[in-house]
Amino acid sequence: MMTKIEQPMAPVTAGIRMTREGETVKKYCLFLSEYAAWLLGAGATCIRLERNVKRMAEAFDHEVVMTIMPRHIHMTVCNRDRSDSYTYITALRTSMISFDINTRLSELSWAVADGRLDFRQAEAEFNRIVKTPQADKRLVLLLASCANASFCRLFGGDLPAMAIVFIATLAGYYLKQVLCEQKVDMRIIFIMCAFVSSVLGATDALFHLGQTPEIAIGTSVLYLVPGIPFLNSFSDMLAGHYICSFSRFMHAMILTGCLSIGLCGGMMMMNIGMF
Amino acid sequence: MLIEFLQDAFFAAIAAIGFAAISNPPRRAYLYCALIAAAGHSTRFLLMNESLTGMHIVPATSIAALIVGVLAVLFSPLVRTPAETCLFPSLLPMIPGIYAYRTFGGLVMCLYQGHEPGFNHYFYLFASNGLTCLFILLGMVIGATIPIFLLKNISFQATR
Repeated sequence: MMTKIEQPMAPVTAGIRMTREGETVKKYCLFLSEYAAWLLGAGATCIRLERNVKRMAEAFDHEVVMTIMPRHIHMTVCNRDRSDSYTYITALRTSMISFDINTRLSELSWAVADGRLDFRQAEAEFNRIVKTPQADKRLVLLLASCANASFCRLFGGDLPAMAIVFIATLAGYYLKQVLCEQKVDMRIIFIMCAFVSSVLGATDALFHLGQTPEIAIGTSVLYLVPGIPFLNSFSDMLAGHYICSFSRFMHAMILTGCLSIGLCGGMMMMNIGMF
Repeated sequence: MLIEFLQDAFFAAIAAIGFAAISNPPRRAYLYCALIAAAGHSTRFLLMNESLTGMHIVPATSIAALIVGVLAVLFSPLVRTPAETCLFPSLLPMIPGIYAYRTFGGLVMCLYQGHEPGFNHYFYLFASNGLTCLFILLGMVIGATIPIFLLKNISFQATR
């Protein structure tokens, strides 16, 4: 015969069970869901997302279980005696990768876990973090162009090729920034940017400016390669998050396909052979 | 060779800073991204150098990626960022972009060939560059992510 063990229950106010800080399970769940949606959108791996959310839930004296879907988070939070629970599904909050937001959200989870912030302070800090303005776009444009020109050099490109790749990246990446602001579909952005960069990259071959025209045109579009989604997908695969891993991999493959279409279009227009 | 080695490290560092800027990391991470990328790429340069070990690009990239991964995890508590913040931009200079370009080129040229010898030639280029590209990517990703999972205590507590 089973004996039911009575456990101390949290106080009940107006039909809503309150936790030790006077917060409801619903509030914890909504906060943790928002946190997870922003962290995933900022480009965190699934294993980091699980650890950070679990760490905070434990600090709030609650349990959390979640399913990480490619574009949504399905989360259930319950109290320790499992007398109250709340389930919520939330969509990804941002699609721009930001390691700054990723880092600060990770710091926030540790601040909560170490007892330096209570729930309300954590909520306020979270709202501050997600309102962080993006980095200076002109600086990013310049650095990305320098990076791609250096990339060209690493592949054996000569100085004219580097200069052409710098200009091709400057134009293509600027177009990407403008189209992103206009909220144009990412696949169309990739096709257009790859087209513009490859047309400019083909000038090395067209005007015989240097000795490495093939490297100039091949490198001119490499700033568009979705490296972080590829790396995240492998990291998720090693952690056993196969659905998310596959989804990230497919997303990266589709963007790479769009890049290839733009590159092919640019080369056909400039009548440049592949070899 | 010393000049080439230094050039390789320098351009890898610049590339890492630029690619890091795209993913918007905290400012304090830029220097570490540059250092780790320079160490990783110049290691690959040395491993592939004919007068030293003359290693093939696939194992050389895997070893260099492992070094990048270990350095990114060890530096992450100093930078106070997740290990991926320095790891991913530092790896990007090793992405086999030219192999990917040649693979795509081979595929497109296959479609334009009307005769078997031409098709076979471009299919060979497609397959050989594609396989090299694929195995470089696999070696790179596995080599770089293993340290994160082996040194979990460091990599997941860096922001504490």
